[in-house]
Amino acid sequence: MSERIDDTSDEVLGRRLAAELTRHTAPARLRVTIVEAATPRSRRPVWLMPMLSAAATAMILVLAVMPVLPRIVPADPVQRYVRAVVSEHSRAIMWGARHGEVLPTALPWLTRESGIALSRVFVGDERLEFVAAEPVYLERQRGVAIHYKDSDGHMISYVALPALGLTVPDRERVQIEKWRPALVRDSGFASLVWKQGDVGCFLVSDMVSSDDIERFKEYFVRIRVSTEPVPAY
Amino acid sequence: MPDGGDFRQQALAHLDALYNFALYLCRKPAEADDLVQETYLRAFRFEARFQPGTHLRAWLFQILRNTFLTFYRVREREAAVAEDGVPDWDVPMFHDAPEETGGVMDTHTDLERALHRLPEDFRTVLLLAEVEGLPLEEVARVMVCPVGTVKSRIFRAKERLRALLRDYEKK
Repeated sequence: MSERIDDTSDEVLGRRLAAELTRHTAPARLRVTIVEAATPRSRRPVWLMPMLSAAATAMILVLAVMPVLPRIVPADPVQRYVRAVVSEHSRAIMWGARHGEVLPTALPWLTRESGIALSRVFVGDERLEFVAAEPVYLERQRGVAIHYKDSDGHMISYVALPALGLTVPDRERVQIEKWRPALVRDSGFASLVWKQGDVGCFLVSDMVSSDDIERFKEYFVRIRVSTEPVPAY
Repeated sequence: MPDGGDFRQQALAHLDALYNFALYLCRKPAEADDLVQETYLRAFRFEARFQPGTHLRAWLFQILRNTFLTFYRVREREAAVAEDGVPDWDVPMFHDAPEETGGVMDTHTDLERALHRLPEDFRTVLLLAEVEGLPLEEVARVMVCPVGTVKSRIFRAKERLRALLRDYEKK
């Protein structure tokens, strides 16, 4: 060592620097990191952004215009009523009655609120259990809805509405004992439609198979015999 | 001019030399990693500025040193405003560098210890000219100064180095 220190010429010092300094080699992962960092990521297609912008603009326009577009409403009044009654039945299945009351106790209140007086009303038996009765507002009419449940758990809704101009269609009528209501299917539900005076009556259920329909007809008879709706005012 | 793939291959051939130089500048392996990576990213980004026929190795050294000085100055500024007024040299040179950088590189010989005590510009001329064997013209290009200045810095750097080695010898 001392020999080297003594020899202190520029040339010797330069040689020492080249020979004695540790040469550090780059870690292998550094090369990988650099190559990965320098590799360009796959670019999005040029058309993608304008396409997305156009789609987003179109969607906003559709959302803005949709509320003012004319709605497709069934021209057939029976169909309109049935659709409204089925919606009400579906709502009752999902969330229960809004203002469920017990019959016959609540009849005076129900008559006042619905505009339909029930001079006789079916309050359930061994096959159909009464669930709730409530006033409803369907197709711009006040009415009454009574919900029942059978022993298999099927919900059956009876709805009575003032329906002066409603005509029960002949071609869908079915004979059930002495009555001939129309059997209308909508949205996976079966509805029996008939009139009692100026009141339109609807019985709705999810009983749609041929066996179920026969039972549904039995329920119709029980309710039809025992229920008499009339406009209250 | 080589195409992108060739250029990268040629540039990566100098990885070990650049890492060695970076480690002698930073002294911390983690910072040297970041410095070399940043150097390559800049080189690839500004590949079009490289003049064919010139020394690629020198161009890369120049980018590395400029990058080092840029971040070194930032670190100096940050250290100068440390809350307790004491310069904090442990502040990482790169902001996303891990706080604990794995320690400072070991110095095994008096020569290495003496080299680390030299100012950066003296250390750089010695590393480029004597260790990496770059011609003085290339060193001048890296340092962005005339060849005469490089010669004078080498002379003065060696003088300082000799003095430091003598001190170590006495101890």
